[in-house]
Amino acid sequence: MAPWGKRLAGVRGVLLDISGVLYDSGAGGGTAIAGSVEAVARLKRSRLKVRFCTNESQKSRAELVGQLQRLGFDISEQEVTAPAPAACQILKEQGLRPYLLIHDGVRSEFDQIDTSNPNCVVIADAGESFSYQNMNNAFQVLMELEKPVLISLGKGRYYKETSGLMLDVGPYMKALEYACGIKAEVVGKPSPEFFKSALQAIGVEAHQAVMIGDDIVGDVGGAQRCGMRALQVRTGKFSDEHHPEVKADGYVDNLAEAVDLLLQHADK
Amino acid sequence: MAACRALKAVLVDLSGTLHIEDAAVPGAQEALKRFVTNTTKESKQDLLERLRKLEFDISEDEIFTSLTAARSLLERKQVRPMLLVDDRALPDFKGIQTSDPNAVVMGLAPEHFHYQILNQAFRLLLDGAPLIAIHKARYYKRKDGLALGPGPFVTALEYATDTKATVVGKPEKTFFLEALRGTGCEPEEAVMIGDDCRDDVGGAQDVGMLGILVKTGKYRASDEEKINPPPYLTCESFPHAVDHILQHLL
Repeated sequence: MAPWGKRLAGVRGVLLDISGVLYDSGAGGGTAIAGSVEAVARLKRSRLKVRFCTNESQKSRAELVGQLQRLGFDISEQEVTAPAPAACQILKEQGLRPYLLIHDGVRSEFDQIDTSNPNCVVIADAGESFSYQNMNNAFQVLMELEKPVLISLGKGRYYKETSGLMLDVGPYMKALEYACGIKAEVVGKPSPEFFKSALQAIGVEAHQAVMIGDDIVGDVGGAQRCGMRALQVRTGKFSDEHHPEVKADGYVDNLAEAVDLLLQHADK
Repeated sequence: MAACRALKAVLVDLSGTLHIEDAAVPGAQEALKRFVTNTTKESKQDLLERLRKLEFDISEDEIFTSLTAARSLLERKQVRPMLLVDDRALPDFKGIQTSDPNAVVMGLAPEHFHYQILNQAFRLLLDGAPLIAIHKARYYKRKDGLALGPGPFVTALEYATDTKATVVGKPEKTFFLEALRGTGCEPEEAVMIGDDCRDDVGGAQDVGMLGILVKTGKYRASDEEKINPPPYLTCESFPHAVDHILQHLL
């Protein structure tokens, strides 16, 4: 690989994944990943623009940011690009009224949405709310529709919590796709629109941005397909460096190491 | 014609071929070698009860279900399964060790498919445990409408772990091969009789058996045109199939 100076030349903005990079979620508000609180602080003191780009869909932005602040992170709601608000935009634009297959923790993000007489299904990381009954309700709604529409907030396979690995929304999205013979529309990483809106929020172009994430396909692969560079951290759900299709622009132990390198080499 | 084959075994579908719900197909009370079915809710004992009430002369070890196929596979692989199957199916797995599981078996057990349980299964699979699926039906019909079958949840775990399940029910090859295992016959020495063109006849022929399609149960006109190669024989009902076998294949 080229030296870091070359790999990070011209970076003006950083997109940060949250789960697996900043912290591991779990009981009691989760645990900050070693060095990440300080790393975010250092980034914010620098000239680099920072945006948090997350697929978190089990809790509202307010709740997520609250938890992270309690762990010491310098983060506010306005700095976060998350899938629920993006989905609400689409629902409003297309006159869609969803059956919400979601965890109660994120319900407040949908307060402005009409959910009567549903003509589509929105599926998020519902966690414990992925009961057979709820899945079946969503399935029955889709089967009744002449034009079944399934909107999925992300399609991640799993993520890491402090207690271990947890099934994410992706497998459940696939379950409904298979049952109904349809394809979901994915809102969130790795969809290009999602990355673009994060970049727009900080006024940085793709070729000047680097994404830092723990999901080789969703974070790294997705960002690279938009023309960004991407670094893979060895925290969170990371398991092995050799993916058959995706090659990160760099592999770092954690966010702290990534920030060290960025502050040395970026924006020169 | 393939009449030069030495026929040694006959597999017969149950629902739709020998009986429909609690009524026997007329003339079907004939003794035959094996009875084969995809049901995953009832144990062999329950099926036996139902068939005996219809005066079929059958013994328990002559019934081979997709649950039996799963059990055979577990025994051959020597694994300890986490069983996600209906309580009524548990008797068919009696004697198989289930503590400290290193395999996952998924059947039609809606009450089991909650997040916690699937997550447990997911973690076992990530550790290398094989996933065995009884079948991958997308949905089935319940009194209150359509209900998700096991298929979507098998697909969910396949995606989560980037692996493929071994499906043991009809029309998979595994099913027919396991069914014949106990008879000591090669597929080429066996014939399958059923009412489901794709699952019974097509599946059997894919493995090298002869397939006879009967026009009872779920059979609909022109079903025989839906598989390639077409059924070896399409006939009115089970007794007609038996007549043909006795006259031409033995």
